[in-house]
Amino acid sequence: MSEAREPLTDMAEGLFGDLAGQDFAAAWPRLTEAGFETLLVPEAQGGFGGDWGDLAVLLKIAGAKRLGLPLAETVIARWLLAKAGIDAPDGLITFAAQTHRAPWGRHAAAVIVQSADGCALYPAAACTWDHGRSPAGEPRDALTLTGDPLVTIATADDLATLLGFARVAEGAGALEAALTLTVDHVSTRVQFGKTLSQFQAVQQALALLAEEAAALTIAANGAAVALDGWEQGLGALAGALPLFEIAAAKARLGLAVDRGVPIAHRLHGAIGFTMEYPLNHLTRRLMGWRSEFGGDATWQRKLGRLASAGGSKALWETLTARSDSLIPQG
Amino acid sequence: MQLFAARAFDPPGDIPALRKQVRALVAAHEHRWTLEQRTNNWFTFDAEFSRAMGAAGLVGMTWPKQYGGHERHSLERYVVLEEMLALGAPVGLHWIADRQTGPLLLRYGTETQRQKYLPGMARGEIYACIGLSEPNAGSDLASVRTAARRTPEGWRVNGQKVWTSGAHHCHAALTLVRTEEGSQRHAGLSQLMIDLDTPGITIRPIVDMTGTEHFNEIFFEDVLLPLDALVGPEGDGWKQVTAELALERSGPERYLSCHALLAALIDAVGPEPDDATAQAIGRLTSELWTLRQMSMACAAKLAAGEDPNVEAALVKDLGNAFEQELPRVVQSLITDDLADHGDLARLTAWLLVASPSFSLRGGTPEVLRGIIARGLGVR
Repeated sequence: MSEAREPLTDMAEGLFGDLAGQDFAAAWPRLTEAGFETLLVPEAQGGFGGDWGDLAVLLKIAGAKRLGLPLAETVIARWLLAKAGIDAPDGLITFAAQTHRAPWGRHAAAVIVQSADGCALYPAAACTWDHGRSPAGEPRDALTLTGDPLVTIATADDLATLLGFARVAEGAGALEAALTLTVDHVSTRVQFGKTLSQFQAVQQALALLAEEAAALTIAANGAAVALDGWEQGLGALAGALPLFEIAAAKARLGLAVDRGVPIAHRLHGAIGFTMEYPLNHLTRRLMGWRSEFGGDATWQRKLGRLASAGGSKALWETLTARSDSLIPQG
Repeated sequence: MQLFAARAFDPPGDIPALRKQVRALVAAHEHRWTLEQRTNNWFTFDAEFSRAMGAAGLVGMTWPKQYGGHERHSLERYVVLEEMLALGAPVGLHWIADRQTGPLLLRYGTETQRQKYLPGMARGEIYACIGLSEPNAGSDLASVRTAARRTPEGWRVNGQKVWTSGAHHCHAALTLVRTEEGSQRHAGLSQLMIDLDTPGITIRPIVDMTGTEHFNEIFFEDVLLPLDALVGPEGDGWKQVTAELALERSGPERYLSCHALLAALIDAVGPEPDDATAQAIGRLTSELWTLRQMSMACAAKLAAGEDPNVEAALVKDLGNAFEQELPRVVQSLITDDLADHGDLARLTAWLLVASPSFSLRGGTPEVLRGIIARGLGVR
């Protein structure tokens, strides 16, 4: 954990709430001015010097505050470029990773493209976009390249995996916020002469929603600490990206959305189905994030193959050796 | 609204070496155990193994040395537990003494009680059970009626306990009784440490739906106990019982009960499963990994001296749902006949039948969700 996490989260709580619902042109400069873009860039390279745990906390706040901006994308892009020793251009940098659509592609100053041919940074002038929208109405654009890259990027990392991690952290914030909205609603809405929260059936359903929100928060944290362990080269986590933890967390996002979102809506009744009430801005994002950068089938299969590769004994040894690598050495 | 904060799992000492020690101990004894015993391992009784664990310093790990303990960190103990469970080692005999009864005697017991029970428990030789449920007191535990009356000779106990796991193999039962005549609900309850060879006690096993005798009825007919069988102050029984519950609810036993079946599935399909099987294994592994993270966070909170009451309820409810779903998921995947002799068929058949028990020990889903709802402030 970086020492600056608390002031960082305080600032994020305020700013992200202000920016929610604003359009890209108005909101993006304010996010940039606040310095969040260089969160993962080392201080020696002019950045904030934060870690993946900081990013997870920040993205969780973004998810909860319904921040509709490509914060994760630009932070991860600038981390990657700094690591490769490439000067990052100003403005939004997003990703066209494998066949996944680029979040906010049409607004990007530059795009990191990763395919079987390698990884490179392209300027906006080299891109044409097929505009699309996520279930939450956010830009998700498909790229056709029409020009040359600015520079190629040497990386062994699968970038869609890192973006998948970002969706888990954002999802953890959104599901927790959906729980809060739901608790508030059932505690104030009176039917049959008492608040909805006084009905046992409602309490039991709320508990199930809370379980999913808790599981997702812990999964996001588990993936973040594995990423930090990986960057620090700790024990069994040294080497390749922590695919095991990220796959497990992204697959858990799928389950949490599957089980949690219907409960939040059910307990809200018709009010939760209106555009005006904030719940839909959380749940539409959650529904979309479940598919982005690999859906349930993709991540479950990847994890299933990792879990099976060495047999059952190796699975337990892997699970324990990886978490043991994170134990601080006194 | 956050009910569950992440916490670093940071035991002291050489944890990989500790795992190696446990794995070697299990390897030295595992030839004795059937597949079904290994998957039912915290209800399987093997005195030789319990004593071997005691000799290896793996029972009563956190207790003071003066009572036979080893003064290890509670998270080191957690590591030993999860290894034993994942490897399917039968730890049923000493399980309750190590998890609940020993710590409770350390906290509330008299010096005489500690000297009498703890060293033997830590050697893996003295076993204890928990006398809580009664025919009319299950989830509603405060309605216990078993009565203990203070007389000049000692406590006179009359009544009945039921669903007492392992009582027929145990030396003593920590028993919740009503010590104040006419008291209601949570008041007037105390706990007595009752030696089960005391005259007037009858233990009758109840065969469960797997065909196993693991739980029991205990009848107390005019049982006379010394006055120093009382644990802690008279009337503190309810407080003692509820203080134990987080210990009982958040441990690795709440999500690893079916681990042997996941392992058998992985070993049966080999290193390159087809898409559907890989997907099912991945889904189960995702839940396993998440539950392990949650359980470790709870253990870390307990180790810090805090009470993870709500977190423990969350882990147990999610963990039980996972354990109960696992055999159903495997059944839906495999083509084996459940009467087949292979590991996969035998484990699936056993766990399908055993799994209803997972959600009844330590609180039903409805009770746990009530605790979570209270944590959310709606109850």
